[in-house]
Amino acid sequence: MSNDINEIAGLAERALRIAQQAGADEVEVFGLTGRGVHIDIQMDTIDLAREGYTQGMGIKAVVNGAVGFSSTNDPLRLDDATRNAVRSARVRENDPDWKGLPAVSEYTTVAGIYDPRIADMDIDTCIDLALRMVDGAASVNDAVPTGGRFSCSGSSYLILNSSGVEMVEHTSRMDGILDCRSGDDNAVSTAYEFDISRNLDIDFYTIGREAARQAVASVGGVKVDSGETDILLRPAAIADLLESTLLPSLSAENVQKGRSALAGKLGSRIGAEGLIITDDGLLEGGIGSARSDDEGTPSRTNRIIEDGVLDTYLYDTYTAGKDGVDSTASAVRNNYTQTTTIGVRNLMIQYPASDVVGDMRRGVLVGSVIGAHTANPISGDFSVEARNSFVVEDGAIKNPVRSMMVSGNVFQLLHNITGAGHDVRRLGTIIAPTVRVSGLTVAG
Amino acid sequence: MHLAVLQADFHDIRVLRSTGRSIFIDNGQIEQISNNFTHGTSCRALVNGSWGFVSSDDSRDSIHLLEQAVNLASQTHAKSPRKGKGLAEVPQPRLHNIPAAHKKPGNVPIEEKVEMLLEMHQRAKVADVTSTSVLYSESELVVEYRNSEGVEAEYSLTRTGFAVTAVSSQNGNFQMGRRSKFDVCGFELFDRYDAPALAEEAGNTAVGLLSARVPKGGRMPVILDQELAGVFIHEAVGHAVEADHVVEGNSILAGKVGSRIAAPCITVVDDPSMHRYGYYPMDDDGVESVATTVIDDGVLRSYLHSKETAAILPGTGRPGHARSQGLSRPIIRMSNTYIGNGDSGLDEMLAEMKDGIYLQGSRGGQVNPGEGVFQFNAERGYMVENGELTTPLRDVSLSGHTLDILQNVQLVAGDMKMNSGTCGKGGQAVPVCDGSPHILVSKALVGGSG
Repeated sequence: MSNDINEIAGLAERALRIAQQAGADEVEVFGLTGRGVHIDIQMDTIDLAREGYTQGMGIKAVVNGAVGFSSTNDPLRLDDATRNAVRSARVRENDPDWKGLPAVSEYTTVAGIYDPRIADMDIDTCIDLALRMVDGAASVNDAVPTGGRFSCSGSSYLILNSSGVEMVEHTSRMDGILDCRSGDDNAVSTAYEFDISRNLDIDFYTIGREAARQAVASVGGVKVDSGETDILLRPAAIADLLESTLLPSLSAENVQKGRSALAGKLGSRIGAEGLIITDDGLLEGGIGSARSDDEGTPSRTNRIIEDGVLDTYLYDTYTAGKDGVDSTASAVRNNYTQTTTIGVRNLMIQYPASDVVGDMRRGVLVGSVIGAHTANPISGDFSVEARNSFVVEDGAIKNPVRSMMVSGNVFQLLHNITGAGHDVRRLGTIIAPTVRVSGLTVAG
Repeated sequence: MHLAVLQADFHDIRVLRSTGRSIFIDNGQIEQISNNFTHGTSCRALVNGSWGFVSSDDSRDSIHLLEQAVNLASQTHAKSPRKGKGLAEVPQPRLHNIPAAHKKPGNVPIEEKVEMLLEMHQRAKVADVTSTSVLYSESELVVEYRNSEGVEAEYSLTRTGFAVTAVSSQNGNFQMGRRSKFDVCGFELFDRYDAPALAEEAGNTAVGLLSARVPKGGRMPVILDQELAGVFIHEAVGHAVEADHVVEGNSILAGKVGSRIAAPCITVVDDPSMHRYGYYPMDDDGVESVATTVIDDGVLRSYLHSKETAAILPGTGRPGHARSQGLSRPIIRMSNTYIGNGDSGLDEMLAEMKDGIYLQGSRGGQVNPGEGVFQFNAERGYMVENGELTTPLRDVSLSGHTLDILQNVQLVAGDMKMNSGTCGKGGQAVPVCDGSPHILVSKALVGGSG
């Protein structure tokens, strides 16, 4: 397939026509073309430079409310794939809950999501930026980089449907991650740091320096007593936990299908007073921002939790139709080979900020967690290993913690939030500060 | 061949053609039927130890891509010079004994598949199950591979699988049970496994967990069932013996080949030639797949290598473990990884342990290979008191340190089983299998309530 979005548009129109001729009541075509560069770092040199080109198309056909889907990246297979989507839709009986694809709408353009300097960045510049991370790590004594990656990409995509929606969007993205190691055979410690942006505003040197500093600070460590304690979850830790435990329950699909603990909780208090959670598809420069969601519904800003009270679930067009509400523009997709699912765009966790470390008499600061994906996505119970964690005493960060498991339940955690730091970070599609939580159990 | 390509020390070209279909049944309704056809090419070139790699969603213009890969490698080497050790020499691969799809999924009518999945839904929906989902997938992948060492090979693999999830609820308490089977085979998968019975097991697990308790956390003896012990060995050992981690100084097992690292009852093998979900006939370096004995009676014998790492760390194992997801770069991965059978049994373990916990099933795990710290999560379990199974348990995670816990394995049973799954590393997901007999670990850190 071509890497020109206009040619993709031509193929998309063709697919739409063929699906209609084959008997589809409604059709949606998603077409994508993109270029990406990865620079892989191994220790302090570059191991591999990769340039990749991707393009393809996903076709959704609807017959009597039943959906069939096909995807391909071969124009010679497009007609077959399209007819296959229609045939697949016919296998299912009618779905009375189907209310139709999104209709034509006005879109608001979002600033800061496309920078051609990232989309078209030459390889030498990419390598230079990757090596800046290595330089940052080298500025710290007693730590070495083990591996890392620089990536940048530019994509253009379109959503075309039989109700007349025609949405074209261009996005860029750049990110860097570096892993560092410190210590010796007796006490080795590792840490990573990363940053993601749609713009040329990443400080790669700082990524390397912070990864190295964290690795050095984490060497050795003390054992903590088992029991309940106050915990500070740094942005990466709270984001990782919420992604695996809270986000599935916010999906209207899971609510409607009896697998969300938040069913029946609209208008109820589900978190601490002062807690605000917003999902914003229009955030300037946001990783999840675009003029529309991936079904073509205009992006919007949704207040999910307002002062601790659950205000709305996340809806796509289908689930919104079933509940008789508007879509929250929460249909997202990873690529053209899959249909949309309900997900977050830019989820922001807000709570009145204070000096959470300075105010802590005794507790633990958790830098990151491993195993969040093994949590129970419905009950919200989790039990994870804390890494890059430190004892906090009398307002100061003290000894690193050697090994510690942190267990709890996300729905209790939301009630037990008692503070947040000033250190708000954008971690991809979740934006969060350090969060202070009481009542979590640690096992050391 | 163009001049630029001749400057490379090594190059290879992979062309992939993949056809797939999936059916998703949610609460007894066909939620979606998806069909996918993709093709693509990736080219790799090595210049003085630096790699260039180009991939494209096209299967027709590999020479142009290859030239671009050579240029990328040269540019990389100019900016960030490094001294390569070259690639280990290997014999030409012989592709043989490739598993066949006896019932080609494409020849089975879609109605028959849907009927099977609906039966699974019915069986999973035991009393108190409020939601079920059943996923079926089939794929055929055709791989063409050729490299500058004269290897030219082509093979195709059919993979089929299903996963069923049941959710139970009672008074705001939600629990989940899941069973899945994925293999390299055709629709005969459903002859090998009693899918409806497994669906019922998922339902019963979800319901059983409604009355299960979260254990008190702390250090205690544990018995792991075959599935969980398989995940344990994958996380605790498998990742740390991937030689790329070793080369990067990011493995707790660096420098330990030839040393005793585990109790003498532990033998660990990674075998890509085994006809399970992690199977491949040759790896993405063009190396024929053979079994690697990683730990032999407690002694570390081999890392898992690519041709590049085998040249960097000679004498620490053979290449043949480089894999990629789709058009991504090949990196070192596990395939079918297992702990070999011992001579104990579950009854002996329960009697030996007396008091502790017995854990079954898995919701996955994760490891930090550089520190050797890992976490994994059981689906369900029991308290063991005086050698008897008592209170049912849920949401039990274990964590530990590779070098400690391997020494703490006290008994290994003789009832090995393999389980299919997906392993993620470096942003790539590949099919794998893990397996083990029951094992008794004398001390592990269990996360739970206070």
